Amino acid sequence: MFLEVQHIVKSFHKEEVVKDLNFTLAAHQTLSILGQSGCGKTTMLKIIGGLVRPDGGHIYLNGNLIDDVTPEKRSIVYLYQEDLLFPHLNVFENIAFGLKIKKINASEITDRVHLMITSLELQGQEKKMPHQLSGGQRQRVSFGRAIITNPALLLLDEPFGSLDTGTRARMQDLFKRIASEFRITSLFVTHDLKEAILMGDHIGYMQSGKLKVYESKESFIQDDHTGVQKEIDFWKGLTK
Amino acid sequence: MKSKASNIGFIFFGLIGILPFFAAFIYALLYSFGMVGAANSGFTTEFWVSIWQSGAFLRSLVYSTAVAGTSIIISVSLALWLTLKFRKELEVPFLSFAMYLPLAIPGIVAAFFTFQLLAKAGFFSRIAYAFGWITEARQFPDLVNDPYAIGIIATFISIVTPFFLLLFLNVYKNERVEELAQLSQSLGANKQQTVWRVSLPVLLNKTWTLIGLYFIFLLGAYEVPLILGQESPQMLSVLIIREIKQYDLSRLSEGYVVAVIYTVIVTTAAVLLFSRKNDVRHEG
Repeated sequence: MFLEVQHIVKSFHKEEVVKDLNFTLAAHQTLSILGQSGCGKTTMLKIIGGLVRPDGGHIYLNGNLIDDVTPEKRSIVYLYQEDLLFPHLNVFENIAFGLKIKKINASEITDRVHLMITSLELQGQEKKMPHQLSGGQRQRVSFGRAIITNPALLLLDEPFGSLDTGTRARMQDLFKRIASEFRITSLFVTHDLKEAILMGDHIGYMQSGKLKVYESKESFIQDDHTGVQKEIDFWKGLTK
Repeated sequence: MKSKASNIGFIFFGLIGILPFFAAFIYALLYSFGMVGAANSGFTTEFWVSIWQSGAFLRSLVYSTAVAGTSIIISVSLALWLTLKFRKELEVPFLSFAMYLPLAIPGIVAAFFTFQLLAKAGFFSRIAYAFGWITEARQFPDLVNDPYAIGIIATFISIVTPFFLLLFLNVYKNERVEELAQLSQSLGANKQQTVWRVSLPVLLNKTWTLIGLYFIFLLGAYEVPLILGQESPQMLSVLIIREIKQYDLSRLSEGYVVAVIYTVIVTTAAVLLFSRKNDVRHEG
């Protein structure tokens, strides 16, 4: 498997936030993880991204143990809940950031950034500063900046949580298209039931630090803990 | 209603903020051309020519700029280093309270402290004597009233650094620099690249106007260079007051010439600083 997470545990001040985390993910697939606020989703992603050190367990990426690999060398990009753009850089510079760090030559950077800007439908916004963009545009820049570095794994932490319903739906479509176009492997964390089903090739449910990955979407829907049945009953009740 | 209130506000700002300053400037300008003043007899440019030929103003301007610039560069660098290196330690309640204390010390008191510490008969000189490093007071290096303005710069740094430290700590938190730094590492930047490409630009981008204003403030500082400065060259405010307070009334106008030039330079700098504040940086 491309990503293998084995027996990861993490506590903060005697509170066990992540409990014996075990799962695998194949390359070019998206695992969406549903969970309520405070269930340990963000800590889990930060551990995989190398931003938080676990108390125990191992992570393998493409067959390599990455426990002691620093965040900048993991080729894993963690995307924050909010569209966190570098405030001193414009759209072009934000997207080009990871390429400039790798000291790729200027003309190649320009070509790749313009290609990405077109894919993200952000033409004409290149020179705008982050505060001049809408929420959806900022989120798209944030995606582009992460994807352009061609990361081995993309970690998305409730990326559409702050967007309105319409923008959220457009961004979900855009992400699916981009994920397929750039063959992205990703973990997509959300607390929105519909989004979890829509975005993932596989689905997991996280509760009190424990993650359960389902064999199929059907088994996820059947499980009472996930709340899908309650949701279905609610909508059925409305139509009666 | 709102526009009426804003009009009244604008009128008050004009009456209290601009008019007295403008009136004083016009008075100084007229004095500098000999058009007012007991010892003057009408329009003349002799005071401007005299100041220009003596070179005292230019020397003072260069000296003041060097002293203020050095103090600001050292203070800002020190505050940035402390912010990035010891941010978590500085969040301890006692330290975060202690940082405010230097802000309450007036410049004149800080200057006296420095004098007591660094003068040839001061604290450090006595310690050096007690340890046998020097055998008499005059062997102690000139650290106050010295040609390199070490005493002035040390005092400015002690006053200004806590202010910038508090400012940078607040900006660090408000601009979420820690998360931006993590993001930058996640995108492949090492710690050094993160500091130079993210943390420092974000902190400086948000504060450079204040840094500029503090530079102007130090350029015109009076008490500290008066107590710790040398006879010549003097910092601008000391030079201006020395000229204006002279018993020789015929030279009073030269003081006003210096005051006029200084006002024009500082006002222009302040206007440029604020007019560029809202500029948006673009790069293709």
